[in-house]
Amino acid sequence: MRKKWLSAILPIMALPLFINLVAPQDREAPQITADTPVWDILTFLGEPTPNHQSKDAVKGASPEQGETLVTTGFASKPSGGKTGKQSKHFVCTSCHNIQKEDPDLSKADPQARLEYARDNGLPFLQATTLHGAVNRTSFYNGDYEKKYGELVKPARNDLREAIQLCAVECAQGRKLKDWELESILQYMWTLELKLADLSLTEEEMAELKQKVAAHKQGKDDETLNWLKARYLQGSPASFTKPPENRGTGYGLTGNPDNGQLIYDLSCKHCHENKRYSFFQLDDSPMTFKYLKNHIGRYSHASIYQVIRYGQQPLYGKRSYMPQYTQEKMTDQQLEDLRSYIELKAK
Amino acid sequence: MKYFYLLLFAFLWTLPGNAQIRVYQAFKDTRVINSHSIETTPRRKMDIRIGHRFGDFAGARGGWQSFYGLENAEDVLIGVNYGVSDNLAVGFFRTKGASQLQQLLHGEVKFRIFHQTADNSVPLSLTATSLATVSTMEKSENPESLANFDKFSHRMSYHAQLLLARKFSDRFTLQLMGGYVHRNQVASNDENGLLHLGAATRVQLTKVFGLIVDFAYPISSLRNADNGYYPPLGIGLEIETGGHVFQLNLTNATGLMETDYIPNTRTNWGDGEYRIGFTISRLFNL
Repeated sequence: MRKKWLSAILPIMALPLFINLVAPQDREAPQITADTPVWDILTFLGEPTPNHQSKDAVKGASPEQGETLVTTGFASKPSGGKTGKQSKHFVCTSCHNIQKEDPDLSKADPQARLEYARDNGLPFLQATTLHGAVNRTSFYNGDYEKKYGELVKPARNDLREAIQLCAVECAQGRKLKDWELESILQYMWTLELKLADLSLTEEEMAELKQKVAAHKQGKDDETLNWLKARYLQGSPASFTKPPENRGTGYGLTGNPDNGQLIYDLSCKHCHENKRYSFFQLDDSPMTFKYLKNHIGRYSHASIYQVIRYGQQPLYGKRSYMPQYTQEKMTDQQLEDLRSYIELKAK
Repeated sequence: MKYFYLLLFAFLWTLPGNAQIRVYQAFKDTRVINSHSIETTPRRKMDIRIGHRFGDFAGARGGWQSFYGLENAEDVLIGVNYGVSDNLAVGFFRTKGASQLQQLLHGEVKFRIFHQTADNSVPLSLTATSLATVSTMEKSENPESLANFDKFSHRMSYHAQLLLARKFSDRFTLQLMGGYVHRNQVASNDENGLLHLGAATRVQLTKVFGLIVDFAYPISSLRNADNGYYPPLGIGLEIETGGHVFQLNLTNATGLMETDYIPNTRTNWGDGEYRIGFTISRLFNL
């Protein structure tokens, strides 16, 4: 009799627990402020979490380790001591900024980026900033397939693979160990986009607040698309050629003031005092004369050639120069650089 | 002597920190022609160096019969320099040797004590070098020979010097140096210790080409023309191509390292006893 009573009452008692487990729950809406991470809002609105969420359980991984790897190429081994340098030639910040580098994240505008770099004391670089990298969904986009071929395929939709490709091919260094990779990823998560980065107006912030407050369950595609349109999901990359005639260039009139910005923020970032290069650039008239005299040539000493094609890493000499895509330096900017060089060479 | 160290310490203490902008590339290479320059191999870079001094260009042993010295090799160097830091480099070299002591191995340490700064708060750069040389040649049974090594220490010779330089402009650098060579084994009528002074300069002609000159003067009553010794003087063209520095030079010195050419230069420009030489330097990232 007692067993029958128990068998009847237990399922009834377990029912609320079951309902609680399977029923959708109201989650707490994120606060909408300038400091709110964009990913917090995306996931609240139903966006699946990205596959590059960092794995906290990897022993030795930390954002601090990631930061030193990104900025110096070294880190402290989990077992003690210092790692070997990831690359003999470069660190991540040779080619990537770690700050916001575009005033409007929804478009790739090299001139706006150059002016933003000038105003914020940043270099003007070939590669896309690591700031907001975890908010992007595709990597090594566009024409990078022409350069790296099959290697791009696993990296295109996987940030971990993209980091490894960058470490081995772009930086000509060693493959990252798991804890190093997770450290860099954890550091990148500290650089994720916040609402303030999207430059939303007060009205847009209020509208977003309303939409988030009203959201209960499911996926709000409309708001998700609206929010994701505020920043690029991947950096476009279009390889482009030097002008057919190096003597006449692209046929555009250059602005030497703008050219000076490029020379100072871009060329000298790597070449001043041979920071990342064996080739020295400075402000001496001899240097400008050398650059001017080589503009018209079909060699990597021509700014047209080296900026548009870059250099290839050679065996035994794996330091090289990556090219500037059209989205990183326009033809007009290249002519601006030429006009500055010609002006200073007089 | 302790006052000297106190003064040196006080001077170094007053020097500005790294925050000030340094003047770089007073010279393109760590050596001018025969002598060191104030430059040190940058941190984590390896400099592979090959140097060569051919035979006399003219004079009794030069001219057509030796194809202007190109068919002879007075000295040959191969070695490596490594930048432990931006201010400290170590090097290891082998030279043939151009004097009685041959088959030489050289260990070298070079330290940049301070840098010239762009704002002129430090108007000069100062570098110290030290060199230890050992001859690995077979022991001679001839008691008159310098190679009659009674002890291992007789194989050794040393050099230390200070180099002071200023880069006056992108085109012009001047360096003064003073040093001391000590040879453990010398001829009975020679002296073990030898002070020397010297000067070097670089005139940059274009981005790629520079004119370089260096000169060393041994301070010794024994080192004069009457005894058949001449001060080493070199003049050369320096070509920098990014990663490579190539020097083509003419010098009356036959040896390539200080323990060799400072005490042992017995060839005279005036007699056509100068030679073509070259040095190739190639930097690698490590």
